[in-house]
Amino acid sequence: MLSSINSRAIVPVACAVTGFVIACCVLLYTFVKDDLIKGEIQHAADLSDTIIKSTRYAMLHDDRESLSNIINSIGEQNLVEHVRIFNKKGLIMFSPDSREVSQFIDKSAAGCTECHAGTEPKRSLGTMAKARQFTNNAGSDVLAITAPFYNEPECFNAACHFHDPEQSLLGTLDIGVSQDPLKRTLGQIQNRMIMFSAMVLVLTVGAVCSLLYRQVFLPIKQLADFTEDSSGDTLNDEFPEVSGEVARLANAFQKMTRRVRELEGQLQEKEREAIPPDSLP
Amino acid sequence: MSQEGPQFDVQQVPGREALRQKIEARIRHLERASGNGLWSMVLFLLVSFFAFDGFAILPDLSDDARRMLGAPPPGEMISLALVVYAFSSIVRTLARMSRNIKPYTGLMHAAFFTAFYTFYQLSGVLQDNFWAVFFAGISVMGLDNYYLWSHSNAAVRKERALLESMRRGGEENVQ
Repeated sequence: MLSSINSRAIVPVACAVTGFVIACCVLLYTFVKDDLIKGEIQHAADLSDTIIKSTRYAMLHDDRESLSNIINSIGEQNLVEHVRIFNKKGLIMFSPDSREVSQFIDKSAAGCTECHAGTEPKRSLGTMAKARQFTNNAGSDVLAITAPFYNEPECFNAACHFHDPEQSLLGTLDIGVSQDPLKRTLGQIQNRMIMFSAMVLVLTVGAVCSLLYRQVFLPIKQLADFTEDSSGDTLNDEFPEVSGEVARLANAFQKMTRRVRELEGQLQEKEREAIPPDSLP
Repeated sequence: MSQEGPQFDVQQVPGREALRQKIEARIRHLERASGNGLWSMVLFLLVSFFAFDGFAILPDLSDDARRMLGAPPPGEMISLALVVYAFSSIVRTLARMSRNIKPYTGLMHAAFFTAFYTFYQLSGVLQDNFWAVFFAGISVMGLDNYYLWSHSNAAVRKERALLESMRRGGEENVQ
């Protein structure tokens, strides 16, 4: 397989370039995926902040009906898989899914363990640590984010004085958005990258192969054919079609062959002269 | 003159035999060196096989061990290091090929790619980056092994030609 100069020169380099391009494409895809997921998490965090700010007025006035309406309206959005507000003890207070209301959240579930892994729960988390990804019961990929409702002076100084100033956290918002659009985008990027890489590889390897064949292998093959035909008439002709080093090599070979023929002729002449004429038949 | 001939043969035959043995030893060494590249590739494929499922065969690192090791490097930095390593290795091998420098025969590449698998695993992003390490490893080690194989083959052919010419020279002397 690797006996011809073509395959020995082209196949290893083509394989190495192909492998490297595939490795780079995988890494590039991973980078793009990470960036898109980070963007999605940031988007979900912004959404949760918007919800917290939107519900603030209703909370300060202890307006549970408005709060419930807001949460129900958000839950009706297409891409919102779930949205719920639960208190410090983990009791779900508001949710568009009426079956969830008054149920306790499992503190060992994903999304809770970030804060509740240790004996003392964490008071704040970075944006990325607030997010979690999972597949829900319907088989859909979900990106969920939890955001705390902190106790602020407006809360414990309000007319109702419901909250103790020592209490740092009042409750938590948990919102999950579907990752289906993200998955579709990633799938499209993946397919486009595969097509683009395949085209780049075919063009690169094809161009290198054809150039090498035209500029190197074909002249060498012609030279090999030319030199193998040493007994024919071609030695008296100029080596056609190529220029540069290969033509120089062909000319050198022609000169050498002519010189050998001359020497052979001179040798035969001398041998004939060395034989006495009377010994000839 | 008649006495010089046998004396010359007596001196030459042991020297010729030693040279023949030396050449044969060199051929064996070249063939062994060519095999080393294959061992390195087999080792890498074996590690890749275990890395494919996130080294599930190995026990999980304890919290103490993780604390001792410190924070893992970010995935982006490992990927950057992988690209730089693979690119420079391919360029170095191509440069060696073009200048006909002796190829590398050790297990360095297998060790480095195993380290990349390990770092990705510790950073928790091995699943996303497994194929990148695998294809980078295959291309780097494949090219390296091809050069080692072709270089060793050429050297072995040269040594065998030398052996053959010695054998012919010996036969002519006997005649």
